[in-house]
Amino acid sequence: MKHWRLLAGFVVAAASVSAQQPATGGWTQPKTPWGDPDLQGVWRYEASVPLERPAQMEGRAQLTDEEVAQRQKVENDQEGQRLAGAEGTAVGRGNLAQSPIRGNEYNSFWQDHGRPRQVFKQTSLVVEPEDGRIPYTPDAKKAEARAQARYGAGPYESFLDPDTGERCLTDGVTAMMWQGPNGGHNRIVQSPGYVTILHEEYLDRRVIPVDGRKPSGIRQWFGNAVGKWEGNTFVVETTNFIDRTNYEWAQIFTRPSETLRLTERYTRTGLDTMDYRITVEDPATFAKAWTAQIPIARLPNDTQIYEYACHEGNYAMTNLLAGGRADAAKRGR
Amino acid sequence: MRAGFLGVISMAAVVSAAAGCNSQPTAAPGGSTPTAYRAPRTADGKPDLNGIWQALNSANFDLRPHAARPALSLMPAAGRSGVPGLVRATTVALPDPVVRPLGAVGGVPAGEGVVVGGEIPYQAWAATKREENAREWLKRDPEIKCFMPGIPRATYLPYPFQILQSTDKIVLAYEFAGATRTIHMDKVGDSPSPTWMGWSRGHWDGDTLVVQVTDFNDETWFDRAGDFHSDQLKVTERYTPQSPYHLTYEATIDDPKVFTRPWTIRMPLYRRVEPDKQLLEYKCVEFVEELMYGHLGVVDPATGQRNK
Repeated sequence: MKHWRLLAGFVVAAASVSAQQPATGGWTQPKTPWGDPDLQGVWRYEASVPLERPAQMEGRAQLTDEEVAQRQKVENDQEGQRLAGAEGTAVGRGNLAQSPIRGNEYNSFWQDHGRPRQVFKQTSLVVEPEDGRIPYTPDAKKAEARAQARYGAGPYESFLDPDTGERCLTDGVTAMMWQGPNGGHNRIVQSPGYVTILHEEYLDRRVIPVDGRKPSGIRQWFGNAVGKWEGNTFVVETTNFIDRTNYEWAQIFTRPSETLRLTERYTRTGLDTMDYRITVEDPATFAKAWTAQIPIARLPNDTQIYEYACHEGNYAMTNLLAGGRADAAKRGR
Repeated sequence: MRAGFLGVISMAAVVSAAAGCNSQPTAAPGGSTPTAYRAPRTADGKPDLNGIWQALNSANFDLRPHAARPALSLMPAAGRSGVPGLVRATTVALPDPVVRPLGAVGGVPAGEGVVVGGEIPYQAWAATKREENAREWLKRDPEIKCFMPGIPRATYLPYPFQILQSTDKIVLAYEFAGATRTIHMDKVGDSPSPTWMGWSRGHWDGDTLVVQVTDFNDETWFDRAGDFHSDQLKVTERYTPQSPYHLTYEATIDDPKVFTRPWTIRMPLYRRVEPDKQLLEYKCVEFVEELMYGHLGVVDPATGQRNK
């Protein structure tokens, strides 16, 4: 229930042109009463674009219009099946063989889309480097393969073995705005001098000062975020992360190290659309910087963020460890 | 530990001092807090409560008036057995062995209490359970496990919290456990289920922010003295600005399953005025994993040895 491990396996993909274009239809950027661009509301990533470009799309940054239409039909049909109660339908995946983690991910029962995912033209969220792939260091690639191999298989010998999500810590700030289908809602609340983002899953919270202050220098899980406005774009630079590379991460690209520098750009492009971009630099995990362009959608006004009491009800942890003990006993260890 | 008649008298004095500067009108017990101070306004004309605030009292140790004591977890004093040395043994309960190494750091500071009238009106069975909770504090207090603190306890934990005031929503961001709640100033549907931090609906009463908090579960406590509630809890909070640097916090507790009548706590909250003060992380899940799960795995990370 805690994480979304599906992106690497998504086959369905497309490109967003709309998210890059200026507002149309007479929409103008609303302002808060104190004059900042108003980004408030509940936002989530609802598109089907995979993080990295799938192998069969190599060399292609965009889908054709026909491919978009075809894939949107698949998404619409699948959503229809889910709404009709066909629990267990894989989201955007034809069969288990397409799952990099042997079907151990959460299926549609855990995913609360409620409406079809949108198909965009872009074939990957990663737009830089041009091949649409995350430029992992060789060590990070090995760490990722290891994490995928052990997911659902263990061993789970102590509370340090489950990943950070299973421990109810976080899945990382890098993916906070656009992951977590069972808690991927983000409420943006603005007040003078601050932009606050409340992410439902794990109760992740960022209170981002927008008042010209310097980073505190105190290392934290979510680092020191400093925001500023560039026109209507909200730009956030986050540094001073704590090193948690020795923990298990469901997705290696979200793990923080002391050298991580995360730059985010939030540009509202319409009443219900936002162009969200991240640039991730961290020599501990990546050979060079990479940028993802992520179309996110605003949900209806009455959408709420609910209380994700993960740690308070983490029966999964005690069950995993009980399973680990039973497993060890069986193997005579 | 119960407040007697004298306790009530002393509480009344404390409350009037706590309600604001001494020159200001005295608070009416259980009622709103009159004040001459007019808060600055936000851009949309509402009283401006933005800022980082913190309680400065011992309410989290015990809401009621209480003397200092050696530790949160005590063991009964040994009986006088006539053994040399025990003849003059202390009659004061001693710190439980598991917290004894903390010495003076583990003591409980005294406090005048924050309950208006001094006494919490428990039903008889609930008073017994409260005493049992206090004895079993080390095992039962949800604060120890880094669980969300609930309302009103989040307000007077010894950590700051930030009020982030927008127009339709006001976010209260607590440092402890990263707990957060959203106060809906606009119309909002009902909570789909019981919660740790409650479901908050707010409105303005003059300069006072009034928040009705409902839909609690029965898991949270009010303090480290075992004070508790049921899932019938409703809390009405009042945040009244008293100066640029402090406000009065008042919370009325209504829970017919546990108490004989509603009761109120009241205390000042102080603005953290340090330049560039920010909420920092207190992500305590990580701090309690060894306590909660260390003995459950094949291997205990604390010792590197296999668990029995």
